Amino acid sequence: MRSLKGIALGVITLLGALVSALVCVSIEGSDRAQAAAANEVYADLKRQAVEKATGDAALASYVASAPSSLLAFLKITIWLAPMLVALVGFDGVAGELQNRTVRYWTVRTRRSSYFAGKLLGLWAVVALVMLVIHLLADGVALARGYVTVGELFTWGLRFWLVGVLIAGAWMAIATLISSSFRAPVTALMTTFVVFFGLWLCGSVAFASRTMKTLSTGVAVAPPWYEYLYPNAYDSMLLSPDSGKVLTAVVVLVGFVAVVIVGGSALFQRRDV
Amino acid sequence: MQAAAVRLDRVSKRFGPKTAVDGVTFSIDVGSVHGLIGPNGAGKTTIFSMLAGYLEPSAGIVEVLGLAPKTVDRLRARLGVLPQDALLPAGDTVGEFLVDMARLQDIPAVKAEGCARQALDEVTGKDWWGQRCGSLSHGMAKRVALAQAFLGEPEVVLLDEPTAGLDPRVAFEVRQLVAAKKGRCTIVVSSHNLQELESLCDGAVVLDRGRVVASGTMSELTAANEQVRMLVAPGTTRGTKSGQVPVQELRELPVVKSAEFDEERLEIAVLFERKQADAETVIGQVLSILLRNQVRISGVSKGRGLEQRVMDLT
Repeated sequence: MRSLKGIALGVITLLGALVSALVCVSIEGSDRAQAAAANEVYADLKRQAVEKATGDAALASYVASAPSSLLAFLKITIWLAPMLVALVGFDGVAGELQNRTVRYWTVRTRRSSYFAGKLLGLWAVVALVMLVIHLLADGVALARGYVTVGELFTWGLRFWLVGVLIAGAWMAIATLISSSFRAPVTALMTTFVVFFGLWLCGSVAFASRTMKTLSTGVAVAPPWYEYLYPNAYDSMLLSPDSGKVLTAVVVLVGFVAVVIVGGSALFQRRDV
Repeated sequence: MQAAAVRLDRVSKRFGPKTAVDGVTFSIDVGSVHGLIGPNGAGKTTIFSMLAGYLEPSAGIVEVLGLAPKTVDRLRARLGVLPQDALLPAGDTVGEFLVDMARLQDIPAVKAEGCARQALDEVTGKDWWGQRCGSLSHGMAKRVALAQAFLGEPEVVLLDEPTAGLDPRVAFEVRQLVAAKKGRCTIVVSSHNLQELESLCDGAVVLDRGRVVASGTMSELTAANEQVRMLVAPGTTRGTKSGQVPVQELRELPVVKSAEFDEERLEIAVLFERKQADAETVIGQVLSILLRNQVRISGVSKGRGLEQRVMDLT
């Protein structure tokens, strides 16, 4: 927040969050009106929608009890997370390589510490930004009476943690790319291309799976390449099955750990 | 006791097909001030970068205080570096930056601010403590960078072009600061400014196209222990009359091995036997003869001057 980039990103993110929150709340309002405020009908609508999207009946039943404005907001947040991560992280290391500021640090710190510090520090910034925008959305939903304080401490907190874990995977990729280039603009372009590739993987997998499900009427398991897309782990993280949640946490945190180790080793060898 | 503060043994660095440094070997004694000299592309900055751990040598051994430069854990408090053209972190204040640097050098938290303030004071920048690094002028930023290099009294300090781009007054202050540190640590200076190096350094390594073309003490490089030079006024010629340079009489001095007068450059060069007399004695004897002959003298120097020596070598 000390730089022009930081201020601009902060303002854009907060404005975007406010607009998204209002949209999510209005969707919930509209859904509730259509369901004539009949809670069972409304919950069943949600359950059907989630089941169609994920092919997981247990998850659909579980998530149907969550406030839909917060659920919609989570989806928007994690969909936009790569964008936020790319803009926050693209010059984290590349900028200091270009300005050679990194030379002050590498004389006094291990390069692995520098790399891990950059990744974890930027992840913490993104987590904080996500917390602020979640609080904003939670506040709007609470003011409209669509969620209770209790739901904010259960679903709200869980949704934020899901977003943070997924953002961690994106941040690991962005930091690895940033540490591989001296020109921040090259790092930014490469980050966008890689992120787009991963989004394409996830989207193609999702489309193919949904088409099969609709044509056969039987829920189809996601293909392996859907899991190359970090956002695909949201359904596992929200699952009522603790085994699935643990698997997703291990995969995402493990991925960040592998990138820290591998990225540090690469950064150790490179000229600064 | 450490034999050498800095040691390079058959070090090469290649960037693709280009060889920037080719089999360089030299060492620098503990406590000395040593220069890295050479024209652009000679390999000074590449060698400097390998010493600081920024670059990995393609071949050979680079050691600072007996350790590989990337052994950060053991060198962080013992090695200070002033990198060339490295921007300070723009968002940090000068105080934050220096305290961070001190903490990273394992200086305890309670002492870090004191050390940082002292280092900043030494570069006459105590008023900049609260200023953002991004708002500093080039000269101020250079001095803050110099302060971090000398922070915590490291045993070896590497300075890459410490006075480049500074106005004469600031450059003078920087030279004074480096001179004041002489004897308290080993200093390696890479610079284009040969007069500056001649006045600051005990010795130097002269590089050209990635190779060492000469190295030694400053006296050895400039032949200051075996030659004196005198410049005379325009219009002066060789001869024995009043106002003329009596070359033969100079040659007949007992300690003099040879004496030449270059009428084009108006320079008398006297080579002497260093074991029989020192430069000051020879200057006195030569001046005595020249003054007796009423030769108008405009300058006296020991040796050839580093600049001339480097011009001859590169």
